[in-house]
Amino acid sequence: MVTAPKIDGISPDETLEACARQIIVNYFHQMMSYKEGAKAGSDIKFVHEMRVTSRRLRAAMDNFAACFPEKSFKKHYKKIKLITQTMGAVRDLDVLIARFENELSTLPKTEQSDIRKLIEHLKQEHEAARKPMLKLFAELEETGFEKKFLTFFNTN
Amino acid sequence: MAKARKITGVMPQDSYRENARIVLPQQVEEVYTWEPFIWDVARREELHNMRISIKRLRYTMELFRFAYGAPKMHSKETAVADNERFTEFLKVIVDLQEILGDIHDGDVVLEVLADYETRSEQRTTTSGIAKLITQTRETRNTDYKTFLEKWEQLSVANFKQQLLSFFGS
Repeated sequence: MVTAPKIDGISPDETLEACARQIIVNYFHQMMSYKEGAKAGSDIKFVHEMRVTSRRLRAAMDNFAACFPEKSFKKHYKKIKLITQTMGAVRDLDVLIARFENELSTLPKTEQSDIRKLIEHLKQEHEAARKPMLKLFAELEETGFEKKFLTFFNTN
Repeated sequence: MAKARKITGVMPQDSYRENARIVLPQQVEEVYTWEPFIWDVARREELHNMRISIKRLRYTMELFRFAYGAPKMHSKETAVADNERFTEFLKVIVDLQEILGDIHDGDVVLEVLADYETRSEQRTTTSGIAKLITQTRETRNTDYKTFLEKWEQLSVANFKQQLLSFFGS
């Protein structure tokens, strides 16, 4: 299970706005730390962790929206939502493939070929689902999203 | 999937501790808006929405955890007790999220299998797929029953009121 990113060093007696900035920036760093692993695709845990952390980040942003100028906040929020959605498509297929691969051992050999075909089909869909994710990562890098996001939440 | 409800009444210049008491009760209420639908086995979409609301509540609880039990106005003993209580509540929420997650996974698997079956060239259900559909349906139904039993127990224990009173205190 992915655990919540640590938010040590914040006092509950500080203003919400001050805490919100630190938490959003902290969660964002955590989320982005999984990006290279997700790109490589050799271990499914990176996509999972990046997706979960993006969800946690969105939950934080939902709760702290009132602390930031609305228009720019929405722009950043939409991008995080897009990250969650794009990674969700890949993660859902990772889960299905792993589940059906596990199911194989519970079935007699004569019935396994159907499931193997299904797994093959899902693996093709998985390859297709990775493309929008990789395209999004490239776009984030080209547009300097990371720097813009951090500048906004550190200073606005 | 239902969109997150807008959180109201948040005061950016008030303390994190004070705002926790504004935000968390709203997240609890959001979860309970789905309660009237859970007893109807056909309302899968609403059950899914409850799962998402519970997940939001969990993440929000983790966010505001340090706003409960930190010693300031309270004695150290009260702080420890609050911390333990918070942990107990969180455990229940995680447990609910997991069982609802299992139910949802079952629904997704059934959908994928049915879709694959429809698309297959033979247009007949092969034995391996048919067996998986049966197994998954049984597990899904058992998980659903378990969820309803857990929910019923929590209702009897007045869990919602416990949460609201703790988070708002």
